Amino acid sequence: MNAPLLSVRELSVTFPVRPEGAAPWARMQALRAVQGVSFDLDPGETLGIVGESGSGKSTLARALVGTVATSGGEALWEGRDLLSMAAEERHRRRRDIQMIFQDPLAALDPRMTAGEIVAEPLSVHEPGMARGEVRARVAETMERVRLLPEHIDRYPHEFSGGQCQRIAIARALIARPRLVICDEPVSALDVSVQAQIVNLLGELKRELGLSLIFISHDLGVVKHISDRIMVFYLGRAMEYGPAGDLVRGPRHPYTRALISAAPVPDPAVERGRRAARLEGDPPSPLAPPSGCAFRTRCPIARESCADHDPAMTGYGDRHFAACPHAGDGGRQDHI
Amino acid sequence: MALLEVRDLRVSFETPDGTVNAVNGVDLSVEAGRSLAVVGESGSGKSQIMLAAMGLLARNGTAAGSVKFDGTELLGLDEAAFNRIRASEIAMVFQDPMTALNPYMRISDQMTEVLTLHRGMGGREALDEAVRLLAAMEVPEARARIRMYPHEFSGGMRQRVLIAMALLCRPRLLIADEPTTALDVTVQSQIVRLLADLRSELDTAIVLVTHDVGVVAGSSDEMAVLYGGRVMESGPVESVFAAPFHPYTRGLLDAVPRIDRDDERLPAIPGDPLSANRLPAGCPFAPRCPRAVARCHDERPEIAPLAPGRLAACHLPLEGAP
Repeated sequence: MNAPLLSVRELSVTFPVRPEGAAPWARMQALRAVQGVSFDLDPGETLGIVGESGSGKSTLARALVGTVATSGGEALWEGRDLLSMAAEERHRRRRDIQMIFQDPLAALDPRMTAGEIVAEPLSVHEPGMARGEVRARVAETMERVRLLPEHIDRYPHEFSGGQCQRIAIARALIARPRLVICDEPVSALDVSVQAQIVNLLGELKRELGLSLIFISHDLGVVKHISDRIMVFYLGRAMEYGPAGDLVRGPRHPYTRALISAAPVPDPAVERGRRAARLEGDPPSPLAPPSGCAFRTRCPIARESCADHDPAMTGYGDRHFAACPHAGDGGRQDHI
Repeated sequence: MALLEVRDLRVSFETPDGTVNAVNGVDLSVEAGRSLAVVGESGSGKSQIMLAAMGLLARNGTAAGSVKFDGTELLGLDEAAFNRIRASEIAMVFQDPMTALNPYMRISDQMTEVLTLHRGMGGREALDEAVRLLAAMEVPEARARIRMYPHEFSGGMRQRVLIAMALLCRPRLLIADEPTTALDVTVQSQIVRLLADLRSELDTAIVLVTHDVGVVAGSSDEMAVLYGGRVMESGPVESVFAAPFHPYTRGLLDAVPRIDRDDERLPAIPGDPLSANRLPAGCPFAPRCPRAVARCHDERPEIAPLAPGRLAACHLPLEGAP
């Protein structure tokens, strides 16, 4: 087995925030957005990160590309810590890790043409490249994401949401990265177009040998594109394992609830489903529960869950859940 | 007679770039106590149908055709008459629960205002009724929390407050426009279940406007699939899902990645959804349709019955068998 491309160990991100409604001179509180997250990403692997709003999944992505500061842990890129490396080396690494975002229109400069947008990363990472070569690379990259040659001189507002996302993907790919972090890349798109972009990302990954980190609130999309999935809740990883195993045989009660809440477009399935629905809303990340973050909504919580933060427990091959009571009841049908 | 009967509804908007035809001859009906899901992607006109029915179109919009509620024509009704119907007979819930509440008023004041104004209740009686409805929407500690302001509630709780407010006057029809789209999936499933419970308890008919076919599957009796401001297909939810007639319905159902299936590749629909200011002459879906022939591009198919309770607008409908 290959060495992982990226090894994240005990990564934490803490934001100082003033509690809502507090006086301006009140003491800042620590919001622990990401807490002790660890995972390995192999070359060519897609890791799906799924969680609800406020779960810290986007903050994790930003910490990996260096746009928010971490408060602990390390992220080893081929064995070298991204978080502590010198600025110059970090700049070089930045070329290897690219990111695409949820709102494609907001991510593109409205005064630049599609061709200029796609070419821009080359001016940073390949400043000496000849103009003819730049044009050829732009044309090649745009073709790869199925944009037409005549699109090159158009402006973002002339494109549909799906086409804008293709431009954003082309821009991310042009400097030939090895990892692309996709933060809710299809959430703003219509279902029919969403499927096109998911398929495109899957093809690009196979053709170019890319690794992907695919962040979404939609377990259906994540399951479709990912090799492994990590489930986030309140800044913590609840479960981590191979996509098929995790969806067919979820261990953590939160993963089970997520699966049973995900709507299935089939009335026969929907009406026959077991109601493992969660009550209430996620707690505030400013005042997380003691012990297990999920215990206030957990159907199998017991007193001891308040005492300590549960460690990841192994359940079979590369499958982990942060719940000591997940049991080994075998595969259960939660869909 | 249906409770809500929409016939040949057309909605257009005058814009600086010309006329935009958002809804182009839509028929829908909802029986008392039943639920209808209106499904479509962005630009399908699904929200404009409901806004037109409620007399809430933007100022540059005009509606033609007919919208009858319990036999009364709603289009062209004057503002006072509309207000009476909107208050007591039809209620509407929108996608974004924050912008629909007044941030400066306590929930209790926003709720009791409706009851004193429309149901002539006294202060104490109104408060009791408001608390009762909040509790019915599973807002915990309703009597204490009703004194709070909207920002003190989470998104899911705000949507419960809005549904409770919509129900204050015991409407016979509740129109919910993407009520769960802004919510997390675990909260979404709670709200969908609440809406279903509520319909059976209060006998309120529900029109659910949504882009999410997964939500439709678990919530509604009937469905209508919209594209380019027209109904492409309609019928009972079970039967449409089991065997859609229209290639667009089939495409929409197939494009959703399902957690209960392992598909190597998602069957996507090529191209992009229509923009309402350039509608094709023939079938609006023809430019993206895998089955389209020349006739589909030239001649618009009329919606027609293809099986009991089932309508579709297609020259080359799929076989009804699953």
